[in-house]
Amino acid sequence: MTTATASDVLATTPARRRRYLASARIHLVNLPLSLGMPWLILGSAFVVNLIIFSMIPTDGVGDRTTGGIMSIYIFTLIARVVSMTQSFPFALGLSVTRRDFFAGLSLVIVVESAAQGLVLTVLRAIESASNGWGIDMTFFGVLFLVQDNWFLQWVLYTVPFLLLSYLAVLFGTVYKRFGQLGMWVVIVGSVLVGGAAAILLTWSRSWGVVGRFFSETAPLTLFAGYPAILAVLFAGVAWLLLRRATP
Amino acid sequence: MTAVSMRGVTKRYGDLTALDAVSLELRENTIHGLLGRNGAGKTTIMQILTGQNVETAGRVEVFGERPYENSRVLDRVCFIREAQKYPDGFRVRDALRSATLLFPSWDAEFAAELVTDFQLREKQQIKKLSRGQLSAVGVIIGLASRAPLTFFDEPYLGLDAVARQLFYDRLLADYAEHPRTVVLSTHLIDEVSDLIEHVVLVDKGKVLIDEDADVLRGQAVTVTGPTAAVKAFAEGYTELHREELGGFLRVTVAGAHPEPQLRSEGLEFEPVSLQQLVVRTTQQHLDDRKVAL
Repeated sequence: MTTATASDVLATTPARRRRYLASARIHLVNLPLSLGMPWLILGSAFVVNLIIFSMIPTDGVGDRTTGGIMSIYIFTLIARVVSMTQSFPFALGLSVTRRDFFAGLSLVIVVESAAQGLVLTVLRAIESASNGWGIDMTFFGVLFLVQDNWFLQWVLYTVPFLLLSYLAVLFGTVYKRFGQLGMWVVIVGSVLVGGAAAILLTWSRSWGVVGRFFSETAPLTLFAGYPAILAVLFAGVAWLLLRRATP
Repeated sequence: MTAVSMRGVTKRYGDLTALDAVSLELRENTIHGLLGRNGAGKTTIMQILTGQNVETAGRVEVFGERPYENSRVLDRVCFIREAQKYPDGFRVRDALRSATLLFPSWDAEFAAELVTDFQLREKQQIKKLSRGQLSAVGVIIGLASRAPLTFFDEPYLGLDAVARQLFYDRLLADYAEHPRTVVLSTHLIDEVSDLIEHVVLVDKGKVLIDEDADVLRGQAVTVTGPTAAVKAFAEGYTELHREELGGFLRVTVAGAHPEPQLRSEGLEFEPVSLQQLVVRTTQQHLDDRKVAL
């Protein structure tokens, strides 16, 4: 009987593994969209900057650093919010467990961050070697993020992707779990906490401590170490909230 | 074999009780009709059975295990919702590709056939589909998944009569070849009354009917005739509905059977359709509540 064979197959397949891989692939089903889009946006930003900076004469004085590289980080942030608001309900609608969805999404986030970090590192290397694309333009190098060690450079490009991805996942999860009200509570709450901290710092005249923290902490710790810890924290909180979220 | 069992399942949202101690059992390899008004609790029942939602109290078992976050169970379950969401940018092909990855018993050939039957094109953007076409995508996934337990939650929204008939025909034909447990939640009771073998009627979070369709059909009768004669006949039975016109009375009673010999007294007997039975039973439940209040 057909039903019997179907359940026999099921009993012998390592379903757990297949499931989270399959749920990871949901994010990549439309490849041109999921992989091509961020680079298309970054590419257009690059071309626009290239044209503009080639028209401005090099006087050796002005700063020729653009902020264009931010576009791909912002795209990643948006893409991961969409993962939670759209792919999550879709996946659960196709009988995926929250655990498998989260594992699959995490796989996508980690691989994507590492790969995008690698491409940026390569592009940064070309930028250095070509003396700023021949016109002394710094597009991929961001002042405080520039490293001589290429591995560290890759880490510095990769970790912010992880941080922003899980920040987006956390926000998306709050939205799925607590709705719009929950989102506003979190946003307003963050602003209030930040404001209270600022008032406290001003009142106790301790802004210097903050300044010293930022100037004295090694860039690698500041832009990779702490963000990595935060990313893990966001991921953990998101998972706890997701466990009771409905699609 | 029992595919689904719920015992005293309650679901509360704040002070709203969506399900109130629901108990039901769904037999394996049967087409079940889950009927009831909007907001009766049908979707909540299906969400809990598919692990999308969590019960507040009670015991839920699907294939002998609790479905929540249980991929052993969910691998064998497909739940097609009227409100199923698809990610932006998805084409029909992307939705089917995802289903291929996720349903172990997926039949790609059958899916391709259904795409042609419902006059869809794989390259179409799901966002640009009409309401009926969107429902068709869900119907295709639900049928081609061949999941041992398949839920259709009002799958026909926007589908025209021809497409609905196509759905019923394909479901019945495929069900005959690949027996499985199907739960059909619908408002178009007359359309599916030949299809469903077992009926669960819910209203305001409670199960009103949990009975085989054949038994149900023989359980009630509508009798029309002179008031006194009808009253005499209906005496002692549960009255589901009553209409009075002049000296004539028309009553639907549960538990009674047609007695043709009473024709001489002017009594006419009619079978009660599933739809009427559902409507009358629900109305009676409503009236009971009014009395209780």
